[in-house]
Amino acid sequence: MKKIFWILFGVFPLSVVYSQESAPTASSSPTQIVSSTSPATAGDVEALRQQVQSLTETVKALQQQVKDQQAALQKANLTGESGLPENPEPSPIAGAEQSPTPSGSAPPRFPTEDTSVVSSTTAPAVSPAPGASPNQLPGSFPTTDTSVVTSAPETISTTGAGASLTQPITIGGGKNYMNISLDGLFALAYSSARDLDHIEVGDHDPQQRGFNARNIELAFDGAVDPYFEGFANIVFKLDNDNETSVEVEEAFMQTTSLPFNLQLKGGQFFAAFGRLNPTHPHTWDFADTPLVNGLFLGPDGLRGVGAQASWTLPLPWYSQLIFASQNGRGSTGFSFRNPGDNGMFFDRITTDREARGLQDFVWIPRFENSFNLSDTQTVLAGVSGAFGSNETGANSRTQIYGADLLYKWKSSHAEGGFPFVKWQTEFMYRRFQAGHGADDSFPVAETFHDWGMYSQVLWGFKKGWVAGIRGDYVHMQDSTFTDDLDRQPRWRLSANLTWYPTEFSKIRLQYNQDFLEENFFLSAREVESVFLQWEFILGAHGAHKF
Amino acid sequence: MKKFFLLLPVIVTCSFSAQAKLSVVATLPDFGSFAREIGGDKVNVAVLAKPTEDPHFVDARPSFVVSLRNADVLIDGGAELELGWLPPLLQNARNPKIEVGKPGRIQASQGIRLMNVPANVTRAAGDVHALGNPHFTVDPIIAKAIAQHIAQSFSALDPANAAFYQANYQKFETTINAKLQEWGTALLPFRGQHVVAYHDSWPYFAHRFGVAIDIFLEPKPGIPPSPSHLTEVIAQMKAQHIKAIIVEPFHDRRIAEKVASSTGAKVVEFSQFPGGLPGTDNYVKLIDTLVSRLAAALK
Repeated sequence: MKKIFWILFGVFPLSVVYSQESAPTASSSPTQIVSSTSPATAGDVEALRQQVQSLTETVKALQQQVKDQQAALQKANLTGESGLPENPEPSPIAGAEQSPTPSGSAPPRFPTEDTSVVSSTTAPAVSPAPGASPNQLPGSFPTTDTSVVTSAPETISTTGAGASLTQPITIGGGKNYMNISLDGLFALAYSSARDLDHIEVGDHDPQQRGFNARNIELAFDGAVDPYFEGFANIVFKLDNDNETSVEVEEAFMQTTSLPFNLQLKGGQFFAAFGRLNPTHPHTWDFADTPLVNGLFLGPDGLRGVGAQASWTLPLPWYSQLIFASQNGRGSTGFSFRNPGDNGMFFDRITTDREARGLQDFVWIPRFENSFNLSDTQTVLAGVSGAFGSNETGANSRTQIYGADLLYKWKSSHAEGGFPFVKWQTEFMYRRFQAGHGADDSFPVAETFHDWGMYSQVLWGFKKGWVAGIRGDYVHMQDSTFTDDLDRQPRWRLSANLTWYPTEFSKIRLQYNQDFLEENFFLSAREVESVFLQWEFILGAHGAHKF
Repeated sequence: MKKFFLLLPVIVTCSFSAQAKLSVVATLPDFGSFAREIGGDKVNVAVLAKPTEDPHFVDARPSFVVSLRNADVLIDGGAELELGWLPPLLQNARNPKIEVGKPGRIQASQGIRLMNVPANVTRAAGDVHALGNPHFTVDPIIAKAIAQHIAQSFSALDPANAAFYQANYQKFETTINAKLQEWGTALLPFRGQHVVAYHDSWPYFAHRFGVAIDIFLEPKPGIPPSPSHLTEVIAQMKAQHIKAIIVEPFHDRRIAEKVASSTGAKVVEFSQFPGGLPGTDNYVKLIDTLVSRLAAALK
């Protein structure tokens, strides 16, 4: 309430000044005539009366004109044809003083105020006092404009963490806001191998010759309250028989305002292991998962129910420590407590037991640092680990270590984020203790030392256009006791071209050449695949993380 | 050792005075320029986006997280221009001082009546902003309101220097008011003339100075120019004898040149941001440059 008074105080002197200023100019000629004739005669009175009459009419006509113009403007605003601002609820004060638009004022006076754009002179401290104000030079261009400045800075706009490109969808009587988006990712695939689902290692990759819909994603996010944000990604997948399955890919809450640069997160989430694992398929630069990610962290990536703490170190550069713990159970804890397909993993019958203690959880630390090499070049480097037990024996354990590097150059004259060059590499090493299986059913316990990497370069050469090339290699330690085809060394070369008509859609053509030691159908050991991928996004588009 | 003790008070005062300065982060260079005008040597200003790059698409570089984490004040547009990159930075910065609603958060659009607010938000219309056109700082009258807003916020956060900030605002206001006469006079002969722009970044500038910047090389905001659309634009330009095409530093100048050569118009390089054109290291110089360039092209 106080504020309103202050605003009134701020605006009142202004309007006074306006009226003082405009009054003499509007009526200057008649007053001069009147004052020059000194003795008042009946004729003079009659002349005056006529003058007043004509003035009144002029004012009426002007008022009508203003009204018409306003109506026309409003109409134009509705149709979006005019550049003039929409003024849905003009304040009574602004309306009373008939805010002068630049075109309405006399030619030599340029306005310096504009209430149609600036709502009100805001606080009393700086509101111009009449007379003392420097902005009311007679015969000047106005320096205020109430048609552009609307209201005191109490109104809160929506940009901020979790704001959306669309108006927020309101649920629950306008009290809670959340962003909703739907993302559809599809692919038309051809492969020289009939079993594309064995060649591709990711669950969201194309799985069969022909059409694929492996990632239709509903995403929700928003501020829960002043303390938490919530996120959820629900994925619908169509399998090769067109049956729909649903996956709660992520659903978690995280803190927003803990002290000491700390953040806590809890729920179902992707482990912060490397660059690619924590991201959703629609943000990937290729149509499929790199081999090392699919074969070490799993077809669905390493994710699970758990909790995470992260801390950005108080250093002059970006440096962050992340530490998470997850159950690591099931196929989303692929190298960990994963019962495998039909209860088998690396040819062992798996134990599928309950957690015995902390050693059965997956522990995932990560440390990442970033530096700017120049104004246009950035490097982000990280090391990650994932430690836990697996199901191939009573006490068998898995350790995965990862290192990742991202280099990005972006032009200082970038339009729409183009042109850019991005080089991303991830390396992983896995130590996997394969035990005797459930009830000591497998004769041999062995330890596998596997490693793999991918490296990719993306070149955004023109607005909306990106060309990419990627090399993949996975080395699996040779075992005479296991002939699981997932344990063969293999490599792959990929090239693609992507067109982003806008940031809400993309069309991608990708070529893959796979080299395998053995194929599942014992056919060709070199496999060629071509994917035509396309995507659309409706609703809020999650902002781009680096 | 003795020398160290002699230096100690210097170090201490230095670090104290460094702490006493408000640490201000501006998402875009225009807000940074206002912050420097108002804050003078009492604040440290860091600007995230480069003046020459497209403000819609700025990389959320991790170093920005560090700047935001240490900020006392964040100035952003508040009109979704930075929507594509600011939210994840803020999420990562975890700085309660600059949350929306806190005194440390200045959203420039507060108190500004945004133009071209779409009645229906549909992306079929291209990259439309639900809250209205966010390129508002090129209207000097709006710039004054933002500067005033900044002065008020700085004063509230740093009351010891309130008088200094207010005085700087008054100085800025006086300068702009005087300059407005100059700018208004320079562009007065071209009132009502049509001008072509690559992107719809100039409705506020046009509204202020009475020129009509209402034909665009982009068929829809954010959509690259298509040959058929350019043909239409060229026909329109010929019919209306349009003399100038406005491009920004990050736009494909060749497209504008091509249109210019087939219509006899001039390509005028404009920037929304101080520093985006040579010799425009502050806001007043920027508008000076824009006005004189446009006046020269329309002559």
